[in-house]
Amino acid sequence: MKRGRFILLYLTLLVAQIVLCNYFSLSNYVLVSLLPVLILVLPHRMNGIVAMLIAFVSGLTVDFFSTGMLGITSLSLVPVALIRRILMALVFGDEIVTREEETTFGRVGIIKASLIVLISCAIYFLVYIWADSAGTVGFWPAAGRFLLSVIVSTPVCVLVARLLRPE
Amino acid sequence: MARHGKFYAGLAVAAVFILLEIAAMSMLKRSSVLQDIWINRASHNVMAWTWGKVTVLRNYLSLQKDNQVLAGRNYELFKELQHYKEMERELKAMAKLDSMGFRSRFNYIPAEITAMGTNSRHNYIILDKGSDDGVKPNSAIITPYGVVGMIYSVDRHYSYGLSLLNDRISVSARIGREGLVAPMSWDGHGTDRAVLRNIPLHLSVAEGDTVVTSGLSTFYPADIPLGVTMGSRLVDGAVNVVDVNLFIDFASLRYVIIAENPDRQTIEKMEQ
Repeated sequence: MKRGRFILLYLTLLVAQIVLCNYFSLSNYVLVSLLPVLILVLPHRMNGIVAMLIAFVSGLTVDFFSTGMLGITSLSLVPVALIRRILMALVFGDEIVTREEETTFGRVGIIKASLIVLISCAIYFLVYIWADSAGTVGFWPAAGRFLLSVIVSTPVCVLVARLLRPE
Repeated sequence: MARHGKFYAGLAVAAVFILLEIAAMSMLKRSSVLQDIWINRASHNVMAWTWGKVTVLRNYLSLQKDNQVLAGRNYELFKELQHYKEMERELKAMAKLDSMGFRSRFNYIPAEITAMGTNSRHNYIILDKGSDDGVKPNSAIITPYGVVGMIYSVDRHYSYGLSLLNDRISVSARIGREGLVAPMSWDGHGTDRAVLRNIPLHLSVAEGDTVVTSGLSTFYPADIPLGVTMGSRLVDGAVNVVDVNLFIDFASLRYVIIAENPDRQTIEKMEQ
């Protein structure tokens, strides 16, 4: 039941991301993405390869229906899937990952939860903006875009995380 | 075992990650011109860097071979340099001979000593010039600092001569420019010593006088410095001999000049 709910919510948020990309563009300098947290809250026991495949397909779906640059979201999201378990071990502690215990963000605390989401968002936007700029944008505009996107997306992602993994 | 399993699992994750990223980049490259150019440029940069490093590594590994080639070239250049130095030396020697006013009746051929003996009473000398170079028997072997010997026989590419350090060789010498003329030959002892023979008892010879070739023979050009007198002594109660300290150093001798008098046979015929 829990699994079904998770899948349903995951797909709904994926659609929400597509809608967000197509109809709620705040500015060229601000990107809002829920995708890093969607990957982050995948079950602990999920194999890294499967997580990366899910990230790849999710990214491809969003690209196909929104950005038009097929591959850019996948390119940014797969690294998040790769380091997901490492990040959790670093932030939440090895024990939780070893026991493959599902972590609720409420249990680990808002600070730790925010930190892990922040790092995930940073990795995602770093790759995304780097690939999107394609060497045509200077360092400071790109850095500004990166910072604004991380600042805006992190709280949104924390909220989504609470939604996906309630107490 | 578990450690191995973990390692292979990690390897598989890394491989899948790389594959997925490549797939994503490939799709991105196809879907956008800007990204296509960017990825191409990045790819070229990576390729250039990689090939650059590979070339550096290859160059480093082939340093030994390069060093050998350079050593070979160095040797060739050294030989060439020596050749030019020798040519310069020979030219200078020739110029010196010319400036000393040697008579033009002599033909000069520069030569290098191939072999030379100094340990017996009948020392020889072999030169690297032969009949193909215009060398003829009975030509003088000289340097600007003295007489070395005389050509005895000639091959096409080499010539064999008798050294001054041979008791069969005698040079007509003069003490000073206008002094006494006497035959000079090796004393048979040191490589830097010779004696002027048959000097009449009533003539005294001072020490330190320069001895030069007299020019009275058809073999040797005149006025080639030979050495300095060191004093005289009585021999057999009839004549004096004068010891001469030779200018020429046979131990370090390498380059000589062959002097050939083309009028020698004519003069000898007239003498007969």
